[in-house]
Amino acid sequence: MKHWIMLGLAPLFLLTVACAKAPTDKLTAAEQAVNDARTAGAPAYLAEDFAKLESLVANAKKEIAEEEGKFAFLRDYEKAEQLLASAKADAAKVVIEAAKKKEEAKVAAVLAQQEAQASVKTTQALVAKAPVGKDRAAVEAIKADAEGLAASLAEVQAAMDAEDYLTAQTKAKAIQDKSQAVAKEIQGALAKVAGAKGKQGKTGK
Amino acid sequence: MMSHSRPVPRRISLAALVLVLGMAACVQKAPPELVQAVETLDRELTAAQGAEFAPEEYAKFVEHWTAVRGRMLAEPDVIRLPWEPNRLVADLIKVQEQGVLAVSTATQRREAERQQAEARLTQLEERLQTFTGNLDTMGGRVVLGQRPVETELLAKQARSFFEQGQFVRSQRASQQAAKLLDRQIERLGAELGRYADERRVTAWRNMVAQTVTWSYRHHSAAIVVSKADRRLFVYRNGKAVASYPVSLGYNGILEKRYQGDGATPEGQYRIVRKRDRGDTKFHRALLLDYPNNQDRRRFLQARAAGTLPPNASIGGQIEIHGGENRALSETLGCVQLENRQIDVLFDLIEEGAPVTIVGALGLSNAISLALAELEQTEEG
Repeated sequence: MKHWIMLGLAPLFLLTVACAKAPTDKLTAAEQAVNDARTAGAPAYLAEDFAKLESLVANAKKEIAEEEGKFAFLRDYEKAEQLLASAKADAAKVVIEAAKKKEEAKVAAVLAQQEAQASVKTTQALVAKAPVGKDRAAVEAIKADAEGLAASLAEVQAAMDAEDYLTAQTKAKAIQDKSQAVAKEIQGALAKVAGAKGKQGKTGK
Repeated sequence: MMSHSRPVPRRISLAALVLVLGMAACVQKAPPELVQAVETLDRELTAAQGAEFAPEEYAKFVEHWTAVRGRMLAEPDVIRLPWEPNRLVADLIKVQEQGVLAVSTATQRREAERQQAEARLTQLEERLQTFTGNLDTMGGRVVLGQRPVETELLAKQARSFFEQGQFVRSQRASQQAAKLLDRQIERLGAELGRYADERRVTAWRNMVAQTVTWSYRHHSAAIVVSKADRRLFVYRNGKAVASYPVSLGYNGILEKRYQGDGATPEGQYRIVRKRDRGDTKFHRALLLDYPNNQDRRRFLQARAAGTLPPNASIGGQIEIHGGENRALSETLGCVQLENRQIDVLFDLIEEGAPVTIVGALGLSNAISLALAELEQTEEG
């Protein structure tokens, strides 16, 4: 009798063991971890590691799909589970590292922005003193440059607002460089006319 | 009985020993140097931006490396029979091969991307240099307002991204800057295309010929100013007797449209008044009859078409003058000479004498040539 019961239970046991269940919860958890990494700025600040995470999840999904295509008794999700476990574990590290890098980039961008703002301000003050006359065209060009630089500061702020600190930093540095060059140009022009104290007039309207 | 049974445990012990040794020899362990090699490849792939430049190869490597690493952690000491192959080693070698392929592919593609970014950047910087040089030659800097500085900032950003190894971003910035350059060249073409327009240049030449003829017929002095050459020519009895370099308004190469635009007018004028020392702030001056009827007609047409700023007026007081201090005087559309030159001209010229101001004297003028060179650099 006991043997008959055992014999009856055996297929049931086999079914339970052999019909492995797709690791949907683990997949959801891994995807959430990848999303957390994305939110932390990993695509911009830890691009390679983030791509690796995405690759792990994508491979896990592929693996799950392949297993699901097999006969129920033959399904084995162990490899997919390994990939998902790696993705989840790595994502946690990526979140921390990306947040750190993002903060570093932010600090650098804020500093570059402040330097660019100060530099443009200095240039604008010099533009107000720029000599006019024979090189009026040059002065007008310098004024246009200074206005262009001031307008470009808004682009730095826009990049900051979008948390694109790399773009903000490079833009701010470019503005600072150009601003310093313009300031130097004005200082040169001011030095040239420093000795000239003739009358200043205006004609031609 | 006892003495007969003693050797049995010894044999068992011996067999057990052999078995243990055999088993130990067959433990499926991953060779540390192989694991280390794969780990190095993993790091190299990160440095070579494998995910970006060799996504498929990288994905395969990651998939298999993760699986093998998982097995290494889950089954550190799997025992295999001596005649069975070491699958872990075989799989690690396969992962290593995939890694080598991914690193090589990523490195090659990244290098190609770097070269492309560098080529774009170099081309942009060369174009920018040509552009700036030609812009200065033609005096067209003011025409473009803030655009040149925006372009320069983008070029600087492209260089900065390139130096950081951000080749894709560098190329994007280079492309944006190149587009801005194209637009500026188009704008210059629209504003200054008349310098290369045969009909317009012919009309200018006819105006000059009329002035020279007037000089011949009236045995008097007449003046011709070429804006492209930034030069004033003095004709007497139909012959050029002198020429002087001049400064124009700060937007001098443009056609004058309204007061304060910094442009120097083009047309046939007369000297309506000679202003001697004490009568002008500019040493000596020859006042022109700007605006003439043609100027007024053009101005009214522009106002009707709505192409003028609100409250724009036509302006006046266009002169040919010198300056007590040329470096400090401000010209908004006049023609300015050195004092010693205006002295010569002032004595030579009479009130009522014609002054013809034209864009250029021929098709091959400084502005049309600079424009043609710029158009050749356009990316389209």
